[in-house]
Amino acid sequence: MIYDVRQTTTCGYASPVAHAHHVLRLTPVHRDGQRVHVAALQILPEPTRRREGADFFGNRLTWIEIEEPHETLTVRLAARVAVDSIAETQPQSTPCWEDVREEGFAASDIGLLSPAHFLFPSRMVSLDPEICDYTRESFPPGRPIFDGAIDLITRLKADIVYEIGATTVTTTPPMSFALRRGVCQDFAHIMISGLRGIGLPAAYVSGYLRSAPRADATGLHGSEAMHAWVLLWCGASAGWIGLDPTNAILVKEEHVMLAIGRDYTDVAPVDGVIVGSRGQRMEVSVSVTPVT
Amino acid sequence: MSAQPDNAVDQTDASLQRFVAGYRPLPGIFDEMMDPAGRVRAHWQPFLSMLGALGGEEINRRFAAADRYLRDSGVFYRVYEDAAGLERPWPLSHIPLLIEPTEWRDLVAGLTQRAELLEAVLADCYGPATLTGEGRLPAALVAGNPEFLRPFVGVAPPGGAHLRFYAVDIGRGSDGRWWVLSDRTQAPSGAGYAIENRLALSRAIPDIYRTTGVERVAPFFQAFQSELFALNRQDDARICLLTPGPMNETYFEHAYLARYLGLLLVDGEDLIVRDDGVFIRTVAGLRRTEVLVRRIDADFSDPLELNAASRLGVAGLIQAVRDGKIIIINSLGAGLVEARAMLAFLPALAPAVLGADLKMPNVATWWLGRADVRKEMIERLDEVVVAAAFTESMAGMPFSGEALGTKLGDAQRQELVRSIRDRGVDYVVQEAVTLSSMPVWRDGRLQPRPFTLRLFLAKIGERWQVMPGGFVRIAEHGDAHAVSLQRGAATADAWVLTHGPVGDTTLLPHPERMPVQRAAGLLPSRAADNLFWVGRYVERAEATLRLVRAMINRIAEGYDAAAPVISSIAALLEAWNAIPADSQKASVVFMARAALMRSDLQGSLPYLVGSARSAASVIRDRFSPDAWRALSDLATLASAQLSIGPSESAMTDRVEAGLRIVAALSGLAQENMSQRAGWRFLELGRRIERALVTCRLVRCFALPINVDGGLDVLLELADSQITYRQRYLMIAAPVPVIDLVMLDPNNPRSVVFQFDRIEAHLAALPKSSGGRLSPVQQIAASIATRLRTAEAASIDSELIMDIEQALMKLSDAIGAAYLINTERSDFEWEALA
Repeated sequence: MIYDVRQTTTCGYASPVAHAHHVLRLTPVHRDGQRVHVAALQILPEPTRRREGADFFGNRLTWIEIEEPHETLTVRLAARVAVDSIAETQPQSTPCWEDVREEGFAASDIGLLSPAHFLFPSRMVSLDPEICDYTRESFPPGRPIFDGAIDLITRLKADIVYEIGATTVTTTPPMSFALRRGVCQDFAHIMISGLRGIGLPAAYVSGYLRSAPRADATGLHGSEAMHAWVLLWCGASAGWIGLDPTNAILVKEEHVMLAIGRDYTDVAPVDGVIVGSRGQRMEVSVSVTPVT
Repeated sequence: MSAQPDNAVDQTDASLQRFVAGYRPLPGIFDEMMDPAGRVRAHWQPFLSMLGALGGEEINRRFAAADRYLRDSGVFYRVYEDAAGLERPWPLSHIPLLIEPTEWRDLVAGLTQRAELLEAVLADCYGPATLTGEGRLPAALVAGNPEFLRPFVGVAPPGGAHLRFYAVDIGRGSDGRWWVLSDRTQAPSGAGYAIENRLALSRAIPDIYRTTGVERVAPFFQAFQSELFALNRQDDARICLLTPGPMNETYFEHAYLARYLGLLLVDGEDLIVRDDGVFIRTVAGLRRTEVLVRRIDADFSDPLELNAASRLGVAGLIQAVRDGKIIIINSLGAGLVEARAMLAFLPALAPAVLGADLKMPNVATWWLGRADVRKEMIERLDEVVVAAAFTESMAGMPFSGEALGTKLGDAQRQELVRSIRDRGVDYVVQEAVTLSSMPVWRDGRLQPRPFTLRLFLAKIGERWQVMPGGFVRIAEHGDAHAVSLQRGAATADAWVLTHGPVGDTTLLPHPERMPVQRAAGLLPSRAADNLFWVGRYVERAEATLRLVRAMINRIAEGYDAAAPVISSIAALLEAWNAIPADSQKASVVFMARAALMRSDLQGSLPYLVGSARSAASVIRDRFSPDAWRALSDLATLASAQLSIGPSESAMTDRVEAGLRIVAALSGLAQENMSQRAGWRFLELGRRIERALVTCRLVRCFALPINVDGGLDVLLELADSQITYRQRYLMIAAPVPVIDLVMLDPNNPRSVVFQFDRIEAHLAALPKSSGGRLSPVQQIAASIATRLRTAEAASIDSELIMDIEQALMKLSDAIGAAYLINTERSDFEWEALA
């Protein structure tokens, strides 16, 4: 499936910003199962300096500096991305989760998608005993890992209420888990915390979900804005498998990857240091439409 | 000893025996001073004989002198757990550790080899990654380490080395061998404290220090300093020491080392990254820096690519490193090899990397990420110490730091075993080490205490040098496995003995101090800004004190007579927010109390002094210990309780004491501030504030109509009575008084005098170029001219208001020219689904 992705990100400030230094993570790149035909960022005001590069996980980074006073920063992404339909993995064919754990611990590869990077607590994802106990229920001894993971997203969707505004971008997994409320970021963080807590490698993916046609009744959450889901490493042969805990679905053709990291902080779309303003607000609008 | 028949030696021997009588090594523990048979080891004998010969009283006197030296030098460290962030005096244990020359040679060889190994491991982990690829180092052990900084993978460190300064903690086991306990590669601390310990001790017992052949440590620092300067590519670039700031536990050391090595002490806000390099924001504009000695943890160094929540770092620093624009010592990412888990692999890596076994062992360590090791060690938990693999404590761990297996309760053990089975990658176990002991002087005698020794290595050219000395940390009580300053231990000097000659110590006044002083002359904008505000706050505090004193003095005159003046003073105090609103009808005692005690009011003494002190604390390295102490004394005074009830005399005492300290502070600033430009900013703050205060006083007490007794109060507040009486010998009259406090250029309290000083300081600041006046100078000049040409009789409220407004504009203009305010973007992220 080929998609046209449009995202407009607007940072508004309460008073003019004299100088801004940002890093943007807003451009999709080629990944296994995804090819980027074209992707361009338009930035207003025009940055004084702009640099392109990549981070360790292969994400595209754009560093900008703006030296003219401004009250809004607008970044527009226009991209065309082809997403392959993924051959379905049979849950029962994957190894038992304990074997995957030892395999991850013993990995000798330290490349960008080595499971070793995604085994440990990270800036926003601590290992919480309660989330860990919750997760363990989906992983009785000897269960095939993918089978357990499917069970886990089903339970997460049932047990946690999708609610915009109940949490913020800085809410930690133990907090949202205690609330049993959150948005896609919280679902993903909780799931990652639980998986890592029992020793399994799990990554955070930011991206987009195909926009629902108006009459669509499936009611998937996350299609009007940026979305987030989880990649679980299921052993060297099965590799990384995408799971969307917010919607309790597997990642197939409807998800477009933007960036991969250990948690939200690795993929935050805009980071930076500004001089001059207190009070700022960010707005995002997204559309992901199939090209016919 | 008994082989020598010499009588004097026998006597010495006898007095030595008396001196060490009662010293008993702890059972089963190697003692540095005494062998198991109870004999003093040979290399300790000369030192102990000389020390013992002084006698207990003299020893106490000498050791007290060392403590006094440390106190006077302002040596302190900060205790994190302490809610008040208290600074602790430096706990020096006065008996040094003595290390004999052959043993030292072995240590040097072992540690030099270890430094080379760590450098090679770092180069591989950030480079080709063959050690992980070949299975010699598990990928999880690198990837799980919070100090593995992914932005530097594939980036060779500018300058060619990850490590240039390395510290290592060692301890001696009961078998008499030295073992490496841990490596410090991130931002090793302690070297500055080691210098201070050496200075204090060599002054307290100079005769013994001279007679005992002790290796000097200064040449090591000279070599390191030369190396730093050699790394500079451009002559005008300044070398900086990057500190996380005064709240850090070892901030004193940052400031001290910066001075000692001739580096500029900066924090993140002082630096800015441009395309062509890294620059220091100074009052004279941007100045290039190419070499940065960092004491800030790597994760905090760049909010753009590492910890976005960091307020300590420099945006873009990582990019500057990748571009090869800045050499950072140690490299960002060098903390990787500090991890305990590394200790499990270094012994096996040495033959693969260096082609030789480790000359000096490290404490036996097993990483529990491997299934077979994990299984075995869960069985052996009682024999070992369990600890976090990477950091001091990890979320999800049932304890922080480390725990002896035997000391775990049943429930704790069960939880631990489950955690290890889930996530063995987070854990190591280590052999329980028993440290050796050395003597400390307690209650007038020597007693044994366990200790660890921190040694320092610097890379000079292609070779490592070891500082011949060290930093000893001593446990407060008998058997401690871990010793840390944070846990209330003492420190001691380490003397490396030598049979050869040592450097001449008599020619230099301070044998360990180096004469190099390159740091003078460069003033970071942030420091200037803080100095300016210290000046303003202190001056305003003085004004509040004087008003309170004037008010209390009026009580004696009888309430009716003084009522108009008192209500004028009260109005002023209220306008400055030194007393609560609408309290003018309250008693004088109530108002005075509020101004002296209410820390919630922005014009009160506690608030102003607290603000001055916190502004000063950020730039403490620019104050002499005496000036800092005066400011601390003022803060202590301002926060002490006053007895309840009508207590004019107690309040008068406090006011007088406060004014005395303020006067002392002014004198100390004038005499002791090393930075000329820095002193000028402090002065500018004071002068502007004093001019403002004086204008307010004149408007309040002399204009438009003379309040009864107002002129006398004005003279008192402006500290000008004596001058006035000498000149006029009569009661106060409006025109002469206004002339004296506003216009008289010879009265150091007059407004014109303040402008003279302000203009002189502005003219001397770096930004005033050539003959033209800077915008800041123009503001000052226009109003000063107006004042100088004015007649006392023609001065009215309107003119004074103009002057006050110009002064505030001047303050803002100075702020705009020298102050930079950076903020991190904290977006309210609205549209995340």
